[in-house]
Amino acid sequence: MPIITVNGKSVHIQELNKEAAETIILVHGMFSNLSVYYFNIAPLLATKYHVVLYDLKSHGMSEKALMGYDLESMTNDLFALMEALNLQQVHLGGYSFGGLIALKMAIRFPKRINKLAIIEAPDPNDDKTRGIIDEYSREFLEHYVENFTDTTKVKMGKRQMERNHRMYEYLFYQTSIKTDMELEKDFFGSPAIETIKQSTLLLYGTDSNCLNAGKHLDGIIENASLIALPGDHNIPIQQPLVIAEALLNFFQEI
Amino acid sequence: MDTITTKLSSEEIFNLMKQFITEVIGEEFVEEMDITPESSFTKDLEMDSIEIVSFSEKIKAHFGEQIDFTGWLSSMDLDQLINLNLGMIISYIEECQS
Repeated sequence: MPIITVNGKSVHIQELNKEAAETIILVHGMFSNLSVYYFNIAPLLATKYHVVLYDLKSHGMSEKALMGYDLESMTNDLFALMEALNLQQVHLGGYSFGGLIALKMAIRFPKRINKLAIIEAPDPNDDKTRGIIDEYSREFLEHYVENFTDTTKVKMGKRQMERNHRMYEYLFYQTSIKTDMELEKDFFGSPAIETIKQSTLLLYGTDSNCLNAGKHLDGIIENASLIALPGDHNIPIQQPLVIAEALLNFFQEI
Repeated sequence: MDTITTKLSSEEIFNLMKQFITEVIGEEFVEEMDITPESSFTKDLEMDSIEIVSFSEKIKAHFGEQIDFTGWLSSMDLDQLINLNLGMIISYIEECQS
Protein backbone atom coordinates (compact mmCIF):
# COMPACT_ATOMS: atom_id res chain seq x y z
CA MET A 1 0.00 0.00 0.00
CA PRO A 2 1.77 3.20 -1.11
CA ILE A 3 1.94 5.50 1.87
CA ILE A 4 4.30 8.45 1.52
CA THR A 5 5.29 11.13 3.99
CA VAL A 6 4.39 14.69 2.99
CA ASN A 7 5.10 17.52 5.45
CA GLY A 8 5.56 14.97 8.20
CA LYS A 9 2.16 13.33 7.62
CA SER A 10 1.38 9.95 6.07
CA VAL A 11 -0.53 10.21 2.82
CA HIS A 12 -2.07 7.27 0.97
CA ILE A 13 -1.54 7.61 -2.77
CA GLN A 14 -2.17 5.45 -5.80
CA GLU A 15 -0.35 5.96 -9.08
CA LEU A 16 -1.25 4.45 -12.44
CA ASN A 17 0.81 4.44 -15.64
CA LYS A 18 3.85 6.25 -14.22
CA GLU A 19 5.56 6.14 -17.61
CA ALA A 20 3.10 8.51 -19.33
CA ALA A 21 4.31 11.99 -20.29
CA GLU A 22 1.50 14.00 -18.68
CA THR A 23 -0.02 13.68 -15.22
CA ILE A 24 -3.56 13.99 -13.97
CA ILE A 25 -4.18 14.38 -10.22
CA LEU A 26 -7.70 13.62 -8.99
CA VAL A 27 -9.01 14.95 -5.68
CA HIS A 28 -11.92 13.25 -3.92
CA GLY A 29 -14.67 14.85 -1.84
CA MET A 30 -15.41 15.26 1.84
CA PHE A 31 -16.16 12.02 3.79
CA SER A 32 -15.04 10.05 0.75
CA ASN A 33 -11.69 8.64 -0.38
CA LEU A 34 -9.68 7.88 -3.51
CA SER A 35 -11.77 4.79 -4.26
CA VAL A 36 -14.32 7.07 -5.96
CA TYR A 37 -11.83 7.15 -8.86
CA TYR A 38 -9.87 3.94 -8.36
CA PHE A 39 -12.15 1.35 -9.96
CA ASN A 40 -13.40 2.96 -13.17
CA ILE A 41 -12.34 6.54 -13.76
CA ALA A 42 -8.59 6.32 -13.05
CA PRO A 43 -8.01 3.14 -15.13
CA LEU A 44 -9.55 4.74 -18.23
CA LEU A 45 -7.55 7.96 -17.82
CA ALA A 46 -4.44 5.86 -17.22
CA THR A 47 -4.65 4.49 -20.76
CA LYS A 48 -3.15 7.86 -21.81
CA TYR A 49 -1.95 9.60 -18.65
CA HIS A 50 -0.02 9.16 -15.46
CA VAL A 51 -2.81 9.30 -12.88
CA VAL A 52 -2.26 10.20 -9.23
CA LEU A 53 -4.95 9.64 -6.60
CA TYR A 54 -4.53 10.52 -2.94
CA ASP A 55 -6.59 10.41 0.24
CA LEU A 56 -7.13 13.80 1.86
CA LYS A 57 -6.08 14.13 5.52
CA SER A 58 -8.30 12.14 7.91
CA HIS A 59 -9.91 10.40 4.93
CA GLY A 60 -9.36 6.92 3.52
CA MET A 61 -5.99 5.67 4.67
CA SER A 62 -4.23 8.99 5.15
CA GLU A 63 -3.18 10.20 8.57
CA LYS A 64 -5.64 12.08 10.73
CA ALA A 65 -5.20 15.79 11.40
CA LEU A 66 -7.03 18.03 13.84
CA MET A 67 -6.67 21.21 11.82
CA GLY A 68 -6.21 22.63 8.35
CA TYR A 69 -9.39 21.94 6.36
CA ASP A 70 -9.64 25.39 4.83
CA LEU A 71 -8.83 25.63 1.13
CA GLU A 72 -5.50 27.34 1.79
CA SER A 73 -4.32 24.40 3.92
CA MET A 74 -5.81 21.76 1.63
CA THR A 75 -3.99 23.30 -1.34
CA ASN A 76 -0.78 23.53 0.70
CA ASP A 77 -1.11 19.77 1.16
CA LEU A 78 -1.64 19.15 -2.55
CA PHE A 79 1.21 21.45 -3.52
CA ALA A 80 3.50 19.60 -1.11
CA LEU A 81 2.37 16.29 -2.62
CA MET A 82 3.26 17.59 -6.11
CA GLU A 83 6.68 18.57 -4.82
CA ALA A 84 7.19 15.21 -3.17
CA LEU A 85 6.30 13.44 -6.43
CA ASN A 86 8.40 15.90 -8.45
CA LEU A 87 5.45 16.98 -10.61
CA GLN A 88 6.05 20.38 -12.19
CA GLN A 89 2.76 20.75 -14.02
CA VAL A 90 -0.38 18.62 -13.93
CA HIS A 91 -3.94 18.46 -15.12
CA LEU A 92 -6.19 18.58 -12.10
CA GLY A 93 -9.63 17.14 -11.43
CA GLY A 94 -11.72 17.41 -8.29
CA TYR A 95 -15.08 16.12 -7.18
CA SER A 96 -17.35 18.00 -4.74
CA PHE A 97 -15.11 19.43 -1.95
CA GLY A 98 -12.19 18.19 -4.09
CA GLY A 99 -13.49 20.48 -6.85
CA LEU A 100 -13.13 23.44 -4.49
CA ILE A 101 -9.57 22.38 -3.74
CA ALA A 102 -8.88 22.13 -7.48
CA LEU A 103 -10.26 25.65 -8.09
CA LYS A 104 -8.12 27.03 -5.27
CA MET A 105 -5.03 25.32 -6.72
CA ALA A 106 -5.65 26.99 -10.10
CA ILE A 107 -5.93 30.36 -8.35
CA ARG A 108 -2.85 29.94 -6.16
CA PHE A 109 -0.52 28.02 -8.46
CA PRO A 110 -1.64 28.85 -12.01
CA LYS A 111 1.67 27.88 -13.60
CA ARG A 112 1.60 24.44 -12.02
CA ILE A 113 -1.91 23.57 -13.22
CA ASN A 114 -2.66 22.85 -16.84
CA LYS A 115 -6.28 21.90 -17.48
CA LEU A 116 -8.90 21.92 -14.78
CA ALA A 117 -11.88 19.55 -14.42
CA ILE A 118 -14.45 20.35 -11.76
CA ILE A 119 -17.08 17.75 -10.94
CA GLU A 120 -20.03 18.80 -8.82
CA ALA A 121 -18.20 21.43 -6.75
CA PRO A 122 -20.82 22.99 -4.45
CA ASP A 123 -21.13 26.66 -3.61
CA PRO A 124 -19.82 26.80 -0.01
CA ASN A 125 -22.37 29.54 0.66
CA ASP A 126 -25.26 27.25 -0.23
CA ASP A 127 -27.42 26.40 2.77
CA LYS A 128 -27.67 22.76 1.78
CA THR A 129 -23.89 22.41 1.69
CA ARG A 130 -23.40 23.99 5.07
CA GLY A 131 -26.50 22.27 6.37
CA ILE A 132 -24.77 18.93 5.99
CA ILE A 133 -22.15 20.14 8.42
CA ASP A 134 -24.51 21.93 10.81
CA GLU A 135 -27.17 19.29 11.22
CA TYR A 136 -25.01 16.29 11.70
CA SER A 137 -26.19 13.58 14.06
CA ARG A 138 -26.31 9.81 14.02
CA GLU A 139 -29.91 10.03 12.80
CA PHE A 140 -28.75 12.30 10.05
CA LEU A 141 -26.08 9.82 9.02
CA GLU A 142 -28.58 6.99 8.87
CA HIS A 143 -30.99 9.16 6.90
CA TYR A 144 -28.17 10.19 4.60
CA VAL A 145 -27.15 6.59 4.05
CA GLU A 146 -30.74 5.63 3.21
CA ASN A 147 -30.95 8.41 0.63
CA PHE A 148 -27.47 7.78 -0.60
CA THR A 149 -28.28 4.13 -1.22
CA ASP A 150 -31.26 5.14 -3.40
CA THR A 151 -28.93 6.60 -5.93
CA THR A 152 -25.85 4.48 -5.56
CA LYS A 153 -27.41 1.13 -4.64
CA VAL A 154 -24.68 0.47 -2.09
CA LYS A 155 -26.11 -0.66 1.22
CA MET A 156 -23.92 -0.10 4.24
CA GLY A 157 -23.58 -2.90 6.77
CA LYS A 158 -23.29 -2.47 10.53
CA ARG A 159 -19.49 -2.49 10.61
CA GLN A 160 -19.40 0.07 7.76
CA MET A 161 -21.95 2.24 9.51
CA GLU A 162 -19.82 2.22 12.66
CA ARG A 163 -16.66 3.00 10.69
CA ASN A 164 -18.31 5.88 8.86
CA HIS A 165 -19.89 7.12 12.04
CA ARG A 166 -16.48 7.22 13.72
CA MET A 167 -15.06 9.19 10.80
CA TYR A 168 -17.92 11.71 10.88
CA GLU A 169 -17.67 12.02 14.64
CA TYR A 170 -13.94 12.64 14.42
CA LEU A 171 -14.19 15.16 11.60
CA PHE A 172 -17.15 17.05 13.06
CA TYR A 173 -16.38 17.13 16.73
CA GLN A 174 -12.63 16.88 17.02
CA THR A 175 -11.25 18.69 14.01
CA SER A 176 -11.61 22.28 12.81
CA ILE A 177 -13.49 21.23 9.64
CA LYS A 178 -16.73 23.02 10.54
CA THR A 179 -15.19 26.38 11.30
CA ASP A 180 -12.74 26.02 8.40
CA MET A 181 -15.62 25.47 5.98
CA GLU A 182 -17.62 28.38 7.35
CA LEU A 183 -14.68 30.64 6.58
CA GLU A 184 -14.91 29.62 2.91
CA LYS A 185 -18.52 30.64 2.38
CA ASP A 186 -17.63 33.62 0.18
CA PHE A 187 -15.29 31.61 -2.04
CA PHE A 188 -17.55 31.68 -5.13
CA GLY A 189 -18.06 35.40 -4.76
CA SER A 190 -14.38 36.21 -4.45
CA PRO A 191 -12.73 38.03 -7.37
CA ALA A 192 -9.96 35.42 -7.27
CA ILE A 193 -12.17 32.86 -9.05
CA GLU A 194 -12.38 35.17 -12.04
CA THR A 195 -8.59 35.06 -12.37
CA ILE A 196 -8.72 31.39 -13.39
CA LYS A 197 -7.53 31.21 -16.99
CA GLN A 198 -7.11 27.47 -17.40
CA SER A 199 -9.27 25.57 -19.80
CA THR A 200 -11.92 24.35 -17.36
CA LEU A 201 -14.48 21.59 -17.70
CA LEU A 202 -17.48 21.72 -15.36
CA LEU A 203 -19.33 18.41 -14.98
CA TYR A 204 -22.62 18.52 -13.09
CA GLY A 205 -25.67 16.30 -12.74
CA THR A 206 -28.89 17.53 -14.33
CA ASP A 207 -30.75 16.58 -11.12
CA SER A 208 -28.07 17.82 -8.74
CA ASN A 209 -28.77 20.57 -6.26
CA CYS A 210 -25.26 21.80 -7.12
CA LEU A 211 -26.10 22.46 -10.79
CA ASN A 212 -26.58 26.17 -10.12
CA ALA A 213 -23.07 26.29 -8.69
CA GLY A 214 -21.84 24.88 -12.01
CA LYS A 215 -23.78 27.51 -13.94
CA HIS A 216 -22.32 30.21 -11.72
CA LEU A 217 -18.76 29.00 -12.33
CA ASP A 218 -19.48 28.76 -16.05
CA GLY A 219 -20.41 32.44 -15.98
CA ILE A 220 -17.31 33.69 -14.19
CA ILE A 221 -14.50 31.44 -15.43
CA GLU A 222 -13.36 32.71 -18.80
CA ASN A 223 -12.42 29.42 -20.45
CA ALA A 224 -15.03 27.18 -18.84
CA SER A 225 -17.51 24.87 -20.46
CA LEU A 226 -20.34 23.26 -18.55
CA ILE A 227 -21.64 19.80 -19.35
CA ALA A 228 -24.74 18.62 -17.50
CA LEU A 229 -25.07 14.84 -17.41
CA PRO A 230 -28.02 12.73 -16.29
CA GLY A 231 -27.62 12.12 -12.57
CA ASP A 232 -27.38 13.94 -9.26
CA HIS A 233 -24.50 14.88 -6.97
CA ASN A 234 -23.33 11.26 -7.00
CA ILE A 235 -22.68 11.08 -10.77
CA PRO A 236 -19.09 9.79 -10.49
CA ILE A 237 -20.51 6.79 -8.61
CA GLN A 238 -23.65 6.46 -10.72
CA GLN A 239 -22.01 6.98 -14.10
CA PRO A 240 -18.26 6.48 -13.68
CA LEU A 241 -17.61 5.59 -17.30
CA VAL A 242 -19.53 8.60 -18.63
CA ILE A 243 -17.49 10.83 -16.32
CA ALA A 244 -14.24 9.08 -17.25
CA GLU A 245 -14.90 9.49 -20.97
CA ALA A 246 -15.84 13.15 -20.57
CA LEU A 247 -12.61 13.73 -18.63
CA LEU A 248 -10.48 11.84 -21.14
CA ASN A 249 -11.95 13.77 -24.09
CA PHE A 250 -11.41 17.05 -22.29
CA PHE A 251 -7.81 16.38 -21.30
CA GLN A 252 -6.97 15.16 -24.81
CA GLU A 253 -8.49 18.14 -26.64
CA ILE A 254 -5.83 20.37 -28.13
CA MET B 1 7.22 -7.33 -4.68
CA ASP B 2 6.70 -10.99 -3.85
CA THR B 3 5.52 -11.93 -7.33
CA ILE B 4 4.87 -15.64 -7.72
CA THR B 5 5.09 -17.73 -10.84
CA THR B 6 3.84 -21.12 -9.67
CA LYS B 7 0.27 -22.04 -10.47
CA LEU B 8 -2.05 -22.11 -7.46
CA SER B 9 -5.03 -24.43 -7.01
CA SER B 10 -8.44 -22.87 -6.42
CA GLU B 11 -8.21 -23.86 -2.75
CA GLU B 12 -4.83 -22.20 -2.41
CA ILE B 13 -6.18 -19.05 -4.07
CA PHE B 14 -9.19 -19.12 -1.73
CA ASN B 15 -6.92 -19.37 1.33
CA LEU B 16 -4.78 -16.55 0.02
CA MET B 17 -7.88 -14.38 -0.49
CA LYS B 18 -8.99 -15.14 3.08
CA GLN B 19 -5.55 -14.11 4.33
CA PHE B 20 -5.78 -10.80 2.41
CA ILE B 21 -9.30 -10.13 3.70
CA THR B 22 -8.13 -10.79 7.27
CA GLU B 23 -5.24 -8.37 6.79
CA VAL B 24 -7.59 -5.70 5.45
CA ILE B 25 -10.55 -5.87 7.84
CA GLY B 26 -8.90 -7.38 10.90
CA GLU B 27 -8.99 -10.77 12.56
CA GLU B 28 -11.69 -9.86 15.08
CA PHE B 29 -14.24 -9.30 12.30
CA VAL B 30 -13.16 -12.29 10.23
CA GLU B 31 -13.62 -14.62 13.23
CA GLU B 32 -17.32 -13.77 13.27
CA MET B 33 -17.75 -14.54 9.58
CA ASP B 34 -18.11 -17.73 7.63
CA ILE B 35 -16.08 -16.86 4.55
CA THR B 36 -16.91 -19.03 1.54
CA PRO B 37 -16.42 -18.65 -2.23
CA GLU B 38 -20.01 -17.37 -2.31
CA SER B 39 -19.23 -14.52 0.10
CA SER B 40 -19.82 -11.19 -1.58
CA PHE B 41 -17.53 -8.30 -0.73
CA THR B 42 -20.11 -5.65 0.03
CA LYS B 43 -23.06 -7.66 1.40
CA ASP B 44 -21.45 -10.57 3.26
CA LEU B 45 -18.00 -9.27 4.11
CA GLU B 46 -19.23 -5.69 4.49
CA MET B 47 -16.11 -4.32 2.88
CA ASP B 48 -16.28 -0.74 1.73
CA SER B 49 -14.63 0.65 -1.35
CA ILE B 50 -11.38 1.77 0.32
CA GLU B 51 -11.01 -1.71 1.84
CA ILE B 52 -11.54 -3.24 -1.61
CA VAL B 53 -8.79 -0.90 -2.85
CA SER B 54 -6.47 -2.33 -0.14
CA PHE B 55 -7.50 -5.86 -1.08
CA SER B 56 -6.85 -5.12 -4.79
CA GLU B 57 -3.43 -3.75 -3.96
CA LYS B 58 -2.57 -6.96 -2.10
CA ILE B 59 -3.59 -9.05 -5.10
CA LYS B 60 -1.56 -6.84 -7.42
CA ALA B 61 1.48 -6.98 -5.14
CA HIS B 62 1.25 -10.75 -4.89
CA PHE B 63 0.61 -11.68 -8.52
CA GLY B 64 2.38 -8.75 -10.18
CA GLU B 65 1.89 -8.45 -13.94
CA GLN B 66 0.52 -11.96 -14.12
CA ILE B 67 -2.98 -10.53 -13.72
CA ASP B 68 -4.57 -7.14 -14.44
CA PHE B 69 -6.88 -7.07 -11.45
CA THR B 70 -7.73 -3.36 -11.57
CA GLY B 71 -8.34 -3.60 -15.31
CA TRP B 72 -10.71 -6.51 -14.68
CA LEU B 73 -12.58 -4.59 -11.98
CA SER B 74 -12.79 -1.48 -14.17
CA SER B 75 -14.80 -3.41 -16.76
CA MET B 76 -17.57 -3.93 -14.19
CA ASP B 77 -20.51 -1.65 -13.55
CA LEU B 78 -21.75 -0.79 -10.07
CA ASP B 79 -24.16 -3.73 -9.85
CA GLN B 80 -21.43 -6.17 -10.80
CA LEU B 81 -19.03 -4.66 -8.27
CA ILE B 82 -21.65 -4.90 -5.52
CA ASN B 83 -22.32 -8.54 -6.36
CA LEU B 84 -18.66 -9.45 -6.72
CA ASN B 85 -17.89 -12.55 -4.70
CA LEU B 86 -14.75 -14.49 -3.83
CA GLY B 87 -15.54 -17.28 -6.29
CA MET B 88 -15.51 -14.83 -9.21
CA ILE B 89 -12.06 -13.60 -8.22
CA ILE B 90 -10.78 -17.16 -7.79
CA SER B 91 -12.04 -18.04 -11.30
CA TYR B 92 -10.45 -14.92 -12.74
CA ILE B 93 -7.07 -15.66 -11.17
CA GLU B 94 -7.28 -19.29 -12.32
CA GLU B 95 -7.99 -18.12 -15.88
CA CYS B 96 -4.99 -15.79 -15.80
CA GLN B 97 -2.77 -18.64 -14.62
CA SER B 98 -3.82 -21.05 -17.35
